[in-house]
Amino acid sequence: MTTLFGTPDIAIGMKESVSRVRLFDGPLDLSWRHCATTSDFIADLFALRFRSSRNDYMEVRHSIGYLVNELIENAVKFRAPGEIVIEASMDSECFKLKVSNDVDGEDASAFQGLLADITVGDPMDLLIQRIEANAANPDVGGSGLGLLTLMNDYGARLAWIFSAADDSDRICVETYASIPISQIHN
Amino acid sequence: MEIKTDDYRVWTEGSEIFFDGAMRLASSDAGASITALATRVLASNPASITLNLKDLHFLNSSGINLLAKFTIEVRKHPDVRLVVRGTPDIPWQSKSLPNLKKLHPAVVLLMD
Repeated sequence: MTTLFGTPDIAIGMKESVSRVRLFDGPLDLSWRHCATTSDFIADLFALRFRSSRNDYMEVRHSIGYLVNELIENAVKFRAPGEIVIEASMDSECFKLKVSNDVDGEDASAFQGLLADITVGDPMDLLIQRIEANAANPDVGGSGLGLLTLMNDYGARLAWIFSAADDSDRICVETYASIPISQIHN
Repeated sequence: MEIKTDDYRVWTEGSEIFFDGAMRLASSDAGASITALATRVLASNPASITLNLKDLHFLNSSGINLLAKFTIEVRKHPDVRLVVRGTPDIPWQSKSLPNLKKLHPAVVLLMD
């Protein structure tokens, strides 16, 4: 059984040349540091081709770094013990990212409930509503704000595929993201 | 008042709160000490509070949420002016700081 949320057309196999990083399991504080190191590394790597323009380089490097950092942070926070696989590629129009990890069945259900709420509607309205709700009731937590920030402030298109994992208690989550490089130039 | 880690520093000078470095909070709770610092400044009932972000190179979404929540807190005090100082040279600031004005239209956003 496979369930999809978000934009279907970006949730397809990564194209031709894909760079892949695998993060092994570890304590949260160390894993948190890996989010920063890994996202900086991927951003440096993919922004290289924009070196000739300082402004483009800074924009592209930041946007890629922000996107990768948010999605790896989510994976680190919610994963069941195990590795996280990060795949990235870029063509003339978009930077594309896929983050794969397992989560416990209960966390998968909660996450699907959140996605059902934040993938329908205008991201700006949803972002403001969630911030207001979170400020009014701290117990609500900040969930979804990172994803909405990516959609609204970075023009990210996102999709998620949930499928059965090897371990029957777990669900495999693949998060797909695409940010337009042409828009980054603005 | 100062909060210092390997990655970032937050301190106050009067009613101006300075942020420096790269802040990747693990959750909104991880920023509790920063919220406490900002709340103390607000509690002193100044005419205006300035968040100076010009040297904050990176802020993840938990940190952005922290700024948003503080903006909503200040909104409850119509007599306190909130000034947010940023720079267009740091991309996250151009992209995300305008959202604060949507939460509190009276915010003075200075991107210079």
